[in-house]
Amino acid sequence: MTTITIVLLLLYLAAGVSYGFFFAQRSEMVGRLATLSLTAAALIHTFAVGMRTVEVGQLPFVGTSAVISAFVWLLAVAYLYTEVTTNERAMGVFIVPLLLVLQAISALSNGTIEATPILDSHWFALHVVSLLFAYAAFALACVVGITYVLLFRELKSKQLGFFAARLPSLHVIDAMNGRAVGVGWLFLTVGLAVGTVWLFQLQPDIADPRVRAMSFFDPKISVVLLSWLVYSFEIYARSAIGWSGKRAAWLSALGFSIVLLNLVPVGYFLTDSHNF
Amino acid sequence: MDLLLLGVSHHTSPVSLRERVDFSKRGVVEALHELEAYPSATEAVVLTTCNRAEVYVACADKDVTRTDLSRFMSKFHGVPAAELNPHLYSHSGAEVARHLCRVTSGLDSLVVGEPQIFGQVKEAYATASVERATGILLNKLFPWSFTVAKRVRTETNLGEGAVSVSYAAITLAKKIFGDLKNLSALVVGAGEMAELTATHLQSHQVERIAVTSRTLDRATGLAQKVGGTAIDWTALEDELLQTDVVVTATGSSSPIITARMIGHVMHARRNRPLFIIDVGLPRDVDPAAADLEQVFLYNMDDLEAIVSENLARRQEQTSRAEAMISDAVRDFLAWLHSRGALPTLVALRRHFEVVRQSELKRLEPKLSKLPQEARDRVDEVTRLLIQKLLHTPTEQLKTIADQVSATHYAEAITQVFLLDEANDTSSSGSKASAARTEDKTPVTS
Repeated sequence: MTTITIVLLLLYLAAGVSYGFFFAQRSEMVGRLATLSLTAAALIHTFAVGMRTVEVGQLPFVGTSAVISAFVWLLAVAYLYTEVTTNERAMGVFIVPLLLVLQAISALSNGTIEATPILDSHWFALHVVSLLFAYAAFALACVVGITYVLLFRELKSKQLGFFAARLPSLHVIDAMNGRAVGVGWLFLTVGLAVGTVWLFQLQPDIADPRVRAMSFFDPKISVVLLSWLVYSFEIYARSAIGWSGKRAAWLSALGFSIVLLNLVPVGYFLTDSHNF
Repeated sequence: MDLLLLGVSHHTSPVSLRERVDFSKRGVVEALHELEAYPSATEAVVLTTCNRAEVYVACADKDVTRTDLSRFMSKFHGVPAAELNPHLYSHSGAEVARHLCRVTSGLDSLVVGEPQIFGQVKEAYATASVERATGILLNKLFPWSFTVAKRVRTETNLGEGAVSVSYAAITLAKKIFGDLKNLSALVVGAGEMAELTATHLQSHQVERIAVTSRTLDRATGLAQKVGGTAIDWTALEDELLQTDVVVTATGSSSPIITARMIGHVMHARRNRPLFIIDVGLPRDVDPAAADLEQVFLYNMDDLEAIVSENLARRQEQTSRAEAMISDAVRDFLAWLHSRGALPTLVALRRHFEVVRQSELKRLEPKLSKLPQEARDRVDEVTRLLIQKLLHTPTEQLKTIADQVSATHYAEAITQVFLLDEANDTSSSGSKASAARTEDKTPVTS
């Protein structure tokens, strides 16, 4: 494990512990410390990604370890953006531990990255970055949705307790969920469109079986399209038939479950494509 | 110098008496000026709230000052001493510090943990400071109590949770909608409870308040009071379509808003949240409406249960808060006792200075032959020598936290250096006056 990986893990750990203390005690000072630690982690992570890009000669998004690490990086950035724009730190306790665990997995399964010629394309880079950013936004929406349900239950049961004292209003959480899903959907759409363009560019010349396997019938692609449909429905339902609040929260959880399904079991065992 | 407090509060007196000793009627500034007629109090802060009237002072003689303060309270408010004195309480020394911390942190309030008192104490201290009625003791005591109170409130969550029904309703609305400014509210009924809740909504700058009642005149009356709009009783269901918060308090014998009506409305509202506060007895809203997804229905019992739970939670925190205050008071006491040695230190320094001056005077014939520069040098060296010699004993005396030990040390120094005799012969006055000159900004100045 390199020094930068250890420093990164320690910073995510410090941020996680600080967000935990902040959630329990609501001390403003601890809250600022949490944000500071996470910002430092995100900056160093950006530096690490930059270093690896220079080292490999292309964006380091190839291989499980690198993809997870890039996902952590983008989720940290997306969360920090949400925190700064809403001035709300309570969600950190749900997000940062996830970052810490994923980053630890990435660090422990650290593999070497080799440049793959067919992936040396701007289209590929945009495809992967867009999708990873979309997944980060969906993860955020899922966590935010869970907190919505927790607070909603307290308010409906008239037993105001732990979450009512700590979480922002239902309206704010719902707005955060809507924004995260909107941003995620946009990046997912761009990622899929760019992926399609990239595939059409490759297809005539490449004999690689992984590229040949890329079609609507490949599980990886059909499942990601399913997630696109779920999120599209969520956005439509929110604006057209008033499916906000709890229903939107559940749809976010369903959508992210499909994303996770695609990342792990489908990505590892079922697909013939995308195994770079 | 010591601290003394005299006052009345909801713990010791009925509201009928508290109303008569309310300093705000004639003004705190006037009270501070009138206190100047009582020289036993060298510093003063007057605190007045709807539940208490207290005077905090620094003084040399507690008994004399206590009598003076009770005379002042009686005279200032025009309440006979015989009537007032049984309700007065008094604390001195560290107990003043403890009491002030309890007051500032809301522990001594009628509603434990209420936050307004903090601002009221700050204002009382600020007024006294502006009027130059405070000195070293109160200038230390009050800011210190603010720090302690802030810590108590942060670390114990003493002020958490609504403790009145109307505030609980507003807190719930904020938990559902966030900011209340863009909301519209519908008040159903025009009785006392409806008016109270509508007034709260108005004070939170709800964008629009509609009032409906079976009698349109009554609705119009309340609407005018709260800056709202009166609507016809028959338009109730239409109004439910656009409102966010509904307050019902009609006293009707059967529900006036049925679950079916709300179900129909919620469909048309496209599931936008609806917060209903039913404070009517019997209830005005069918309880089954609470089962609808985005309907948050709270009745009087629900709100009272929240209030009781919050009050119980605050009570649980009080022992922790008291322990924190005890720790802080111990530190304050150490500082206060170190102040007890101050007159001795002042006298000691003066004694050394007298000796230095007399020696310089004795050597004047010889020194006069030296150039001015050398004479200045001699003066400076002797002054620095005294400062260095006195530095360690001064610091040591200041660190003695135990009052008995501090008194013993002070007495020993007084006897060893014959400070009483030295002061008797000195033209500068007594130790106490020396300390006062150095430390205080007297009320009587």
